Order: sequence, then structure tokens, then C-alpha cells
Amino acid sequence: MMDADVAPARGARGPALASVWADRLGFFVIWTLAGFALLLLIAPSLIVVMISFTETAYITFPPQGFTFEWYADLFSRQQIVESAVTSLRISLWSTTIALLLAVPAAFSLVRGRYPGKTFAGALIVAPQMIPGMVIGVALLFFGAYISFRQSDLMLVLGLTVFCLPFAVRLVMAQLQLLNPALEEASLSLGATKKRTFVQITLRQIVPAIVAGAAFVFIESFDNLTVALFTASPRARPLAVELYNLVQFDSSPMVAALSSLEILLAFVVMLVLGRTIGLERLAK
Amino acid sequence: MTEAFWTRFRDGRGVWPAVPAFVFLAIFFIAPMGVLFSFGFTEIERGQVQENGFTLRYLTDTLSDDLFWWVWWKSFYIGTLSTLLCFLLAYPLAYLYSESGRRMRLLILVLTISPLLTSAIVRTYAWLVILGGRRGVINSTLIELGLIERPFRMLNTDFAVIIGMTQVHLPFMVLPLITVLAARDRNMEAASLGMGASRLSTFFRIVVPLSMPGIVAGLTIVFALSYTNFIIPQLLGGGGFTTLAVQVYEQIVVILDWSKGAMLALLLLGSCFVFILMIGLAGNRVMRWSVKETVE
Repeated sequence: MMDADVAPARGARGPALASVWADRLGFFVIWTLAGFALLLLIAPSLIVVMISFTETAYITFPPQGFTFEWYADLFSRQQIVESAVTSLRISLWSTTIALLLAVPAAFSLVRGRYPGKTFAGALIVAPQMIPGMVIGVALLFFGAYISFRQSDLMLVLGLTVFCLPFAVRLVMAQLQLLNPALEEASLSLGATKKRTFVQITLRQIVPAIVAGAAFVFIESFDNLTVALFTASPRARPLAVELYNLVQFDSSPMVAALSSLEILLAFVVMLVLGRTIGLERLAK
Repeated sequence: MTEAFWTRFRDGRGVWPAVPAFVFLAIFFIAPMGVLFSFGFTEIERGQVQENGFTLRYLTDTLSDDLFWWVWWKSFYIGTLSTLLCFLLAYPLAYLYSESGRRMRLLILVLTISPLLTSAIVRTYAWLVILGGRRGVINSTLIELGLIERPFRMLNTDFAVIIGMTQVHLPFMVLPLITVLAARDRNMEAASLGMGASRLSTFFRIVVPLSMPGIVAGLTIVFALSYTNFIIPQLLGGGGFTTLAVQVYEQIVVILDWSKGAMLALLLLGSCFVFILMIGLAGNRVMRWSVKETVE
């Protein structure tokens, strides 16, 4: 089946006029949608950052005046500072554990030769297919079963499960890119196996490890879906605190806190861009 | 350390470097999932599992409850609409990426990845600000311009939830599409154009079918995320707004009926997998059909 405009005969004179206009209109729609998508991606964050500087006591757009008052207010609230510290501590723990588990696992999954490797790989990235809420709920119920309560430790464990697949996949991708000739050269030039491993192999995957750490850190820091079910009610992480603030506080201070989180996201993005490149992250 | 140790580590020859990760997942992921599953079929009173508590009561009660089906339909419809809207916006953007130079590509990547790394609450909060009451960005702008006199009610509607989900999940749709579109084989397009097909026809008959794997990946991820999201419906949908995922949260955290919550979570997860499978199968069908269509 072929439409008239697909027929090859017209090639020499170019397509008919009507089809040229259809083309223009069609691509006008496509580019407009693309522009709208870009706007949708950036506008919300921009608006939040803008209103965080307003001089009014309520959120308003466009913001009026310019003040850092809300940022000062933010740091004077002990509860927020404490929950930020809690989040920081928890994220550092989950990042450390996730990487300690992920790096060796990635080696095994890329370079190992054993039956059932495909299955093993699928198992390790399985948590990625389960929503954070379900991971959190499952851990909460499991804890009830063995008398293990919601706590910082439970949250760290939940976040590690949630983030492990990202870390494993980042390191695996880097390992697959390595050129084995470099390791062979090092060995044949007389380096010991240990030295070859540390100076050649490990050094080449450092970018992926750093990127993985940055990614796991920010995912843990921002996570709400696991945290709502596993975090200790006494030491609430920042994400849970922010979740409550967003619902019940209309002060621009919430926008200031949000702006700081946006800033953190940009820092992490810079790290990712410098280590493995943003294109790689797309995969 | 012996030489053999380093050789084995470097070559990863064998399972053992992955064993700690397996043990960890077995204890803190597989076992909890098993407990979750069993809780859906167990009598629990005051957080205590009862003796000989196996029951199908929660399953049959839930499935025979009209409210459950209503809530399920809401989840399905919100998830589907926001996934389609995501696709409608993401595809043109990913196509723009594939047709752009280095600088534009970097800009698109930065704008796509930065929201991905920003907390979802922050981005949902932005919608509270944009859609909210009289002082919301949209209403205040429209009033200022004299286009309307009284503010529209935008917050606490289906529309608010759908637009919020679309924005929060957009990067997950854009990234897989970017991957397939940027790497696509451009010879087929050149051939199509050379044989006299219009650009638009080439776009729909060559470019779109070629990107089918990315489309399926994007639709799958975004549907799964939208279908199971309970934060955005709670924040943008208002108090009365409920979906299956919101129900899970409320049963477990507010009402503390863990068995019912576990059953709802299992049904949420199970139905999500079924839909994902259906998207995959439909994608395969379309791919085969479009290849046949083009060849014939």
C-alpha cells in the first residue's frame, strides 16, 4: 500500500505543493511540542527559585522585591537543620554500602563465566522494577515479623536496596568499555597482578564509581517513597520533613529549601557530567 | 594476598564477588517481599500475626468491593493519560535532540537530567505554586491581564494530578527515546526521501517505527511510575482524591490495616506487571506490522 506522495515518479520535480505545506505544518507542530516540553522541564524549578527571594510573607508570582530572609529563616529552624543532618548521614551510609556491594558484583556480572549469570544479573537489578513504596512497605512488614522497628538503619537498608541497581549498572557499563589490552600490557611489562588490578583496572572504573556514588547519594537524599515507611518517626529525614512542609506551610521558606535542593541536583549533575558524561547517563 | 586472589578478582571469574550483593538482596529484598506477600493472606491483629491465620478473605473482600474497582479505574486512567501526554511531549523533544548540534544537545540533556536529580516533592511543590489558588502563577497572570475575573479552580482536580505526573516523569520518557533516536540508522530516511516521500511521511513511516524499542521502554517506565505514584495525587489531587497507590499508603500508615494494605500493594504490583507486559506485546505487534507495511 502506498500513498500518492510516496510514489517515486515525482522525485525530479520534488514533492507536490500540498505535501510541502503538510510537511511544514507537521514539523511546526513537532517543534512546538518540543519547545513546550523544554519549557515544562525547566519552568517549575525556575519559578520555585524565583519566589524563594520574594519579600512577601506568602508565596506569590511574580516575586516582589529581593531578599535572602527566607534562607536565613530556613537555617534558624532547628527541626529542618536536624533533618538535613539526618538525611546526610543516612545517604552517606546507603551510598557506602551500595557501592561496596555493587562494585564487586559488577565485576562478577561482566567478567565472570558461570552458569546462571543472566539470571544473577536480572536478580541484582530486580529492585528497579519494584516501586519504592513497595520496597518500603515490604521492609516495614519484614521488620514487624522479626521485631525490627522503623529506624535509621531500616531506612539505610531500604535505600540501599532501592539504589543498588543504579550503581551496579553504572559500574557494569564502564567495565564493558574497558580495553583488556591495557591490563595484558601491564602484566606482560612485569607489573604484579595486584598492581595491575589497582592501577589499571580500578583506576579506569573510578569515574563510574564516583558517578554511582553521586547518583546513589542524591537518590537517597531525595527519596520519599521508601522513607515514608521505614524512617524513624523521631528523626525524620529531610524529604519527609519537606513533604509535611509542602502540605501545611505556605511560607516562601519552603521555596528556599526547595531551591537549595535544586542547587544540590545541579552539583550532582556537574559531577556526573565530569565523570561519565551526561550522554552515558541517558542509557 | 596471593596472586590467585587478584587474578580472580580482576577477571571476576566466578560468582563470589557478587555473593555479598545476593545475600544482601535475599535478606532485605526477597525475604521482605515474601513477608509482604504472606501478609496479604494472613490474619493480623494489633500488629501480631495470628496462629493458623491463612485466609483468602482479604483477596475476596477486595475484589468484590465496588470501591476498589472504582479506585483502580482512577489509577489506570490517570496513569494512562499522563503516560500518553508524556509521550506526546517527549518524542518531539528527543527527535529535536537527534537533529541538533552539540550545544543544543547539551542543553536538552541538562534540562532533562536536572529535574531527574531534583527531588520529586520539590517539583510537585512547584505545581502547587503554579496551579494554586488566586496567587497561583497561572491565575494571577490571567487576572493581571484582565482575561478572567475570578481564579480558576485548577488545584485538586484530575488535571492537576495529570499535568504534575507528566512533568515529573517526562525525563524518564525522554532519555530512552534520545538513546534510540540519536543512534538510529539514517540511511533509510535518506532512501525514503530520495525516492520522493515527503519529510512528514518519512518521519511517521521510517523514524517512528525505527524507534519502537525506545518507545516501549519509555511507555513502560512512565506508566509504572505514574500508576504507582501516591505522592502527586496526595499533593495535587486534594483530600478526596484517591488512587490504588494512595489507598496502599492510607491503609498501612493511616488506618493501620496491614493485611488489607498488603493485599492492595500486591494487586497494584500485579496489575502493573500485566500492563507493562501488554505494552511490550503491543510494541512488538506494531513493530512487526510496520515492517511488513513498509516492505510491501
